[in-house]
Amino acid sequence: MKRIYLSLITIISLMGSAYADRLVIKGSDTLGAKLVPQLAEQFKSQHPGTTFDIAAEGSTTGIAAIIDGTAQIGMSSRRAKSSEIGAASAKGVNMKPTIVAYDGIAVIVNAGNPVKSLTKKQVEQIFTGEVTDWSVVGGSGGKISIYTRNTSSGTYSDFKELAMKKRDYAPGSQKMAGNEQIASEVGRNPAGIGYVGIAYTKAGGVKVVSIDGAIPSIQSVQNHSYPYWRPTFYYTNGEPGGIAKTFLDFTLSSVGQKIVNQVGFVPIK
Amino acid sequence: MFKRFMYIVAAASFIFGGIAARAQDAGALLDLLVRKKIITDQEAEEVRAELTKETAATSAGKWKLSAPITELELYGDARLRYEYRSGRTAGDVSPPNDWQERKRERYRLRIGLRGVLADDWFFGIRLETSQNPRSTNVTFGDDTSTTSGSTTTFNGPFAKNSDGINVGQAYLGYRGFKDITLTGGKMPNPLVTTLMTWDADINPEGTAEQWKHSFTFNFGGGGVEQAQQSYAKDSKNLAITKTSEPWKLKVDLFANFAQFIYDDVNPENPVGAPRTSGGKLVPTTDAWLLAWQVGARFTFPNNLYAQIAPTLYNYTGNGDTFNGHFVGGDPALSNSDSLSTNQVGINSLLVFDMPMEIGWKIGELPVRIFGDFAVNFEADDRAKAAGFPGKGDQRYAYQIGAGIGQLKAKHDWQLQAFWQQTEQFSLDPNLVDSDFFDSRVNIEGVVVQAGYALSDAVIFNLSYGYGWMADKSLGTGGIGDIGINPLDKYQIFQADLNVKF
Repeated sequence: MKRIYLSLITIISLMGSAYADRLVIKGSDTLGAKLVPQLAEQFKSQHPGTTFDIAAEGSTTGIAAIIDGTAQIGMSSRRAKSSEIGAASAKGVNMKPTIVAYDGIAVIVNAGNPVKSLTKKQVEQIFTGEVTDWSVVGGSGGKISIYTRNTSSGTYSDFKELAMKKRDYAPGSQKMAGNEQIASEVGRNPAGIGYVGIAYTKAGGVKVVSIDGAIPSIQSVQNHSYPYWRPTFYYTNGEPGGIAKTFLDFTLSSVGQKIVNQVGFVPIK
Repeated sequence: MFKRFMYIVAAASFIFGGIAARAQDAGALLDLLVRKKIITDQEAEEVRAELTKETAATSAGKWKLSAPITELELYGDARLRYEYRSGRTAGDVSPPNDWQERKRERYRLRIGLRGVLADDWFFGIRLETSQNPRSTNVTFGDDTSTTSGSTTTFNGPFAKNSDGINVGQAYLGYRGFKDITLTGGKMPNPLVTTLMTWDADINPEGTAEQWKHSFTFNFGGGGVEQAQQSYAKDSKNLAITKTSEPWKLKVDLFANFAQFIYDDVNPENPVGAPRTSGGKLVPTTDAWLLAWQVGARFTFPNNLYAQIAPTLYNYTGNGDTFNGHFVGGDPALSNSDSLSTNQVGINSLLVFDMPMEIGWKIGELPVRIFGDFAVNFEADDRAKAAGFPGKGDQRYAYQIGAGIGQLKAKHDWQLQAFWQQTEQFSLDPNLVDSDFFDSRVNIEGVVVQAGYALSDAVIFNLSYGYGWMADKSLGTGGIGDIGINPLDKYQIFQADLNVKF
């Protein structure tokens, strides 16, 4: 009998230790496509035995995962909405944001498009559908094709808030699953325009247009002079503990912020 | 250091100042503190999240509005009313000089939402008690039983059969063109009117186009004038000044056009042979009420103003409810036969109406004189069709009254009185006020009203009206609450307790 008890204790201890080294991260595609997987790889090299379960399906899913308790870290490229924070409070969840990197949302057009710069007003007019032809904003003419993120994306709502005064996107805009798809479509379509995280501006066939004379760069985002910048977050339920805290600290460390920079985001300092 | 401390104290007092919805307001301040490097982005985010959490816990934070709504107003009122209403038969009918009396306790509820949308659109909805277009009142205890045909159903005391909620207003509009408002739907009356021509409870259905533009003319004066100069002992010019109010005239010009769907024909094109009624074809066109109103309001210095709003009303199409020829009762008939003549026909109505008002202030007390004049240019035809070919002169309607005071805040009071006469063939009896005088025409009489604001939101009103037949050789057209036609004498008394929110 004593042997059975000892065996059970050993099994439970092993299960506990296995769970402690498994980190579930859900949320933003902007963060989850490149940055967090690379951080995870580097982290694993320093913490052998740690396993990651990363699901990048949009910021909304990351915040919902913290509220539901199905992830230890929720990646988000936008702030949690008041409705989400209210829902979290009702469940006793304390949504704690930690800024892990900055991102500039770059407006991209096809590399062959003569338009090099736009004003904030023109960007608003284009994405809301008030302006539908390139000739109105200095282009060579032709119907503008708009590419946006899908509605679960934090970038989708952030861009609405930052660039469109929260107005609706033009009815004909095409919704893409991720930054790479937008860059790819704009690269193929001479009349295309879209927006991507600053990490995705190196894609082939596209170019970044300046906004009111400012282009997204490390300096312009860090000093907030570029208009379409945003913080990106890890959300946790209160102060994180265990492996989640260790990973968060790693992300904010000089090693982690170096990876942030390498991937194309802007370090927080 | 002191500067940094002051920033933080100012921020804290602003953010935690006790008003719930601070999260969004605080955003600009937090950004400023970050830009001045007093706090970090991370600290700002933590404060922002905490504020959002607090805001989300308030009742305001739990309301969710869609993004295109830029402004939303919840409003309404509730009213308790005691009403006495009576009418008397004429002396030469049977039974002569007999009073029919009605006493009732009533309530009404109106609750609405008005919203402004992005890109200059707006909308409104209002829910109201009662299905009656000219009344939102529900009578307590009037639904203990209901009768349909020969079947009576007993509903019991405190039944809810007459306590339904109906859509009183549902409209949307656009203000994207300078000075112009376009509205469609079931809307608040877009026209300047008086109770003589329009019951205030009617929410017409259709479309309206409104234009308004203000001009201000400055005729000099005002500011600081140098009255005289003298030489002072200190060798400086001493200017003695006086101030005077500038003499300005503000003119608000407006034009309101409306196309109201008065009666919809269903179907316009029936299967098989065209519909007939009484051997006559049923009309197949909708009836529309069209209105053209232009007007001006002149505002002079010292709160003196004058407004005039001449209007032309015309009816097109037929509809299938109001297309009979108006008769409006006949004193030569028995009361029941007189009541059963056509009371609602809208034939031969081309009405010119001119409401007007002059107001000023005595001290802080507003005073106004108001009136209305209307004439039906087609009264000859309307009288002839009614069987009274010699009564085409019964084409005019008049109202004149005066009021003093206002009901805007606690302890405010108001007194108002007016005299009114509406001749039998002057106006559309389906639109005139249902209280004064029982939705009838061919009535003249007086109304006095007094109100007192018990609080900013609660107003107590007393109203009394007394009316009598204008032309005793005609009926008193229209369908009211008193089952007498002609209505020789009429009285109404109302005591209201209103709550506005």
